[in-house]
Amino acid sequence: MVGMSVLRSAAAFAARLSPLKSGNNAAQLLSRIIPRTDKVAVRFGGGHGKQMFVVKSTNFYDRRFLRLLRFYILLTGIPMAIIITGVNVFIGQAEQVETPEGYEPEHWEYYKHPITRWMTRTLFDSPVKDYEKMMAAIHNEKEKSDMRLTQLEVSRQMRMKGDGPWFQSKTPNKDLIHYGHKSTPDN
Amino acid sequence: MKDHDNAAYPEPPRKTPVVDKQTSVPNPAVILTNLFYYSVDVPVSKFKGVLDSIRSNNKSVYYHQKFRRIPELTDCENGDYLCYYEAEMQWRRDYKVDQEIVKIVQERMKACYQREGSSYKQNCVKEIEQFEETSNNFQLRYGDLGAYASGRKCLMKQKERMMADQAQTS
Repeated sequence: MVGMSVLRSAAAFAARLSPLKSGNNAAQLLSRIIPRTDKVAVRFGGGHGKQMFVVKSTNFYDRRFLRLLRFYILLTGIPMAIIITGVNVFIGQAEQVETPEGYEPEHWEYYKHPITRWMTRTLFDSPVKDYEKMMAAIHNEKEKSDMRLTQLEVSRQMRMKGDGPWFQSKTPNKDLIHYGHKSTPDN
Repeated sequence: MKDHDNAAYPEPPRKTPVVDKQTSVPNPAVILTNLFYYSVDVPVSKFKGVLDSIRSNNKSVYYHQKFRRIPELTDCENGDYLCYYEAEMQWRRDYKVDQEIVKIVQERMKACYQREGSSYKQNCVKEIEQFEETSNNFQLRYGDLGAYASGRKCLMKQKERMMADQAQTS
């Protein structure tokens, strides 16, 4: 009882000191609920418990890599897949037939798949032209090699015989020789 | 439900006996074949039919290219590099053709083996003999030439073979 009177006086003192605090109202002073520390108010409890801060290593870089990989592969992969599927469904592959008499097929008509045919028609030279290009290159090299061999042979001959325009060294003019000091013997 | 009929690999005539069922128990093999037919074969054939009808106005054809025969390496003059090049190209085409020939003969033997099952040693003698002959000849002619094989190397190998034969006979 004495403690209760001490408490009452303490409460009245607190109310007088700070009358604006919400818990210090006279009617509420002694009927305030004592805070209990063993139970906490949990928000968004639901059924799975309290949200925990799990400490783990980052997988941001891994996920970013996979995201970018998928993006850049599908960037050209999807149009290519659509085009190839469309070509295979709507323009089918060619069938093989016997070459008709007297008809010479174009170089792209020797292939089966429509995309291969298009590539050989628009992007590449015909195999005949490639063959001729290679033959032209070989012919050029052969001519160069033949010329070099003949040059070696010609220079050998000219050096040996001395009657050609090469391997001639310039000597001074005959008229420039001064015979004056030889005109009188026993000088 | 006959599969495609390839004239190059004619199957022998079927020797299945006439069905003479004496029980009322259903044959599981028939059930399974019907199941396969209705679940796999029919949808696939329908799909192919649909695609063929879509593609029917864009039909194109392709031909088989035939190359002229060219004088070989032995008919070329010394130093005629153009002749060498043409002979080399012809040798390469012939090399490819020979590889494909060996593959076809091998496929025939494999098909025969598959058909005959456990009696292949008896019924496939011709195919096996043909395959052995062609593969032996291929090995003799093109055998150890390696990745940089050329007409000249093949010719030299032939020369070696002829020399070995001559040394053996004399």
